Amino acid sequence: MSKTKHIFAVLILSLLGITLLVSLSKLPNQFEYANSIYHHVVNNSITETGSLNFVTAILYDYRAYDSLGESTIIFGAVSGIVLLLSRKTLPVSSHGLSFIVKRTFGMLTPFIFLFGIYIITHGHLSPGGGFQGGVILGAISIIFSIVYGSEFDYKRYSPTTKTLLETSGALLFIGLGFMGILLGGNFLMNLNILNAEVGSLLSAGSIPFINIGIGFKIGAGLAIIFYSMIQKTFKEEVDL
Amino acid sequence: MTLRIIIAYFFMVGAMLFAVTTTVGLIRFPDVYTRIHASAVVLTISAVMLSFGIAIYVWQFYLSMKILLVGLIFLITNPLATHAIARASYRRQIACPEVRSVDDYSDYLERDQQ
Repeated sequence: MSKTKHIFAVLILSLLGITLLVSLSKLPNQFEYANSIYHHVVNNSITETGSLNFVTAILYDYRAYDSLGESTIIFGAVSGIVLLLSRKTLPVSSHGLSFIVKRTFGMLTPFIFLFGIYIITHGHLSPGGGFQGGVILGAISIIFSIVYGSEFDYKRYSPTTKTLLETSGALLFIGLGFMGILLGGNFLMNLNILNAEVGSLLSAGSIPFINIGIGFKIGAGLAIIFYSMIQKTFKEEVDL
Repeated sequence: MTLRIIIAYFFMVGAMLFAVTTTVGLIRFPDVYTRIHASAVVLTISAVMLSFGIAIYVWQFYLSMKILLVGLIFLITNPLATHAIARASYRRQIACPEVRSVDDYSDYLERDQQ
C-alpha cells in the first residue's frame, strides 16, 4: 500500500471519528428519558404482556407490525434470490465430507435441532426468539448439504417442504394478527390465550406462537436461500 | 482459599499455558498441516481443562454439568473441524511437498473412494 493510500485512510477514519463524536454529543442525556416510552416499557411490560424478555415484548407485542415488515423483507429476499438463481437442473450431488464427519454430525444434528427449538419456544423467557432460533434451524439444512451432499438434503428436506414451512410460518403470524381484529381489537393485538403465570412456558399470550411462526419462516427461508445458491456452485463435482 | 479453589485455579492456569502454546504454534509453524496439528491437539485440551476448572470453581450440580457439556462439545467438534480442513487441503494438494518420505494418507483416500 502506498503512502497516499495511508494518508487517505487516516483522513477518512478521522472524519468518521469526528462525525461519531459530534452525533454522540448531541444525544439526549439520561434524565430526558424520564417520561418517554422507554420508561413505560421498562416499568409496565411484564404486567402488560407477560413476557420476561423486554426485547421480545417490544418485538412481538408493542412493535409487532414492524416485525411483520421485517419478516416480509426476508420473504422478499428469498423470492428475489430464488427468481435470480433458480435453474431447471436438479442439484448436482457431491459426495460430502469424510466418514468421520458424517458420523459425528449424525450424533450432533439432533442436539442442534433441539437447541434451535429451545431458543424459539423460550423466546419470551430468555434471550433469543424466533429470528435467532430460526437461523439455527436454517443451519441444519446447510449441514445436510455440506456434510452429506446436496442430494441428501434434496431427498430428506425437499424444496417443497421448505416452501411449505416458510409459508405456514408467515400465515401463522398474519393469522394471529387477524385473530386480533376478529376478537374485537387491533391488528396483531396480544390475544390472552393460554395465559399461565409470568415466567412459565405458556405465558405471554400470543408471543410464543408468533415466535414459532417467525422461527419456522426464518429457518426455512435461509435454507431456501442456501439451497438455491448451492445449485450452481456444486456443478463441477467438488470433492473435499 | 480452599483446596477446591486451588485445584480449579490449577486447571485454569494449565489451560492458559496450553492456549499460549497454541498461539505460538499457529504463528511459528511453517505450513497448514503443522498449524492444524497445533490447534487440534493443544487447543482441545486447553478448552477441556478450562471447562474442568470452571466446573470445579462454580461447584453447583446443574451449572457444572452444563459447563462440562460445553467442554464435551468442544472435545467432539474441534478435532472434527481440523480433520475436515486437513483432509480438504490434502485432497486439493495445498502446500504439499514434492517429495514425501512418509505418505500414509493416500492409501486411506483410495480406499475411501470406493
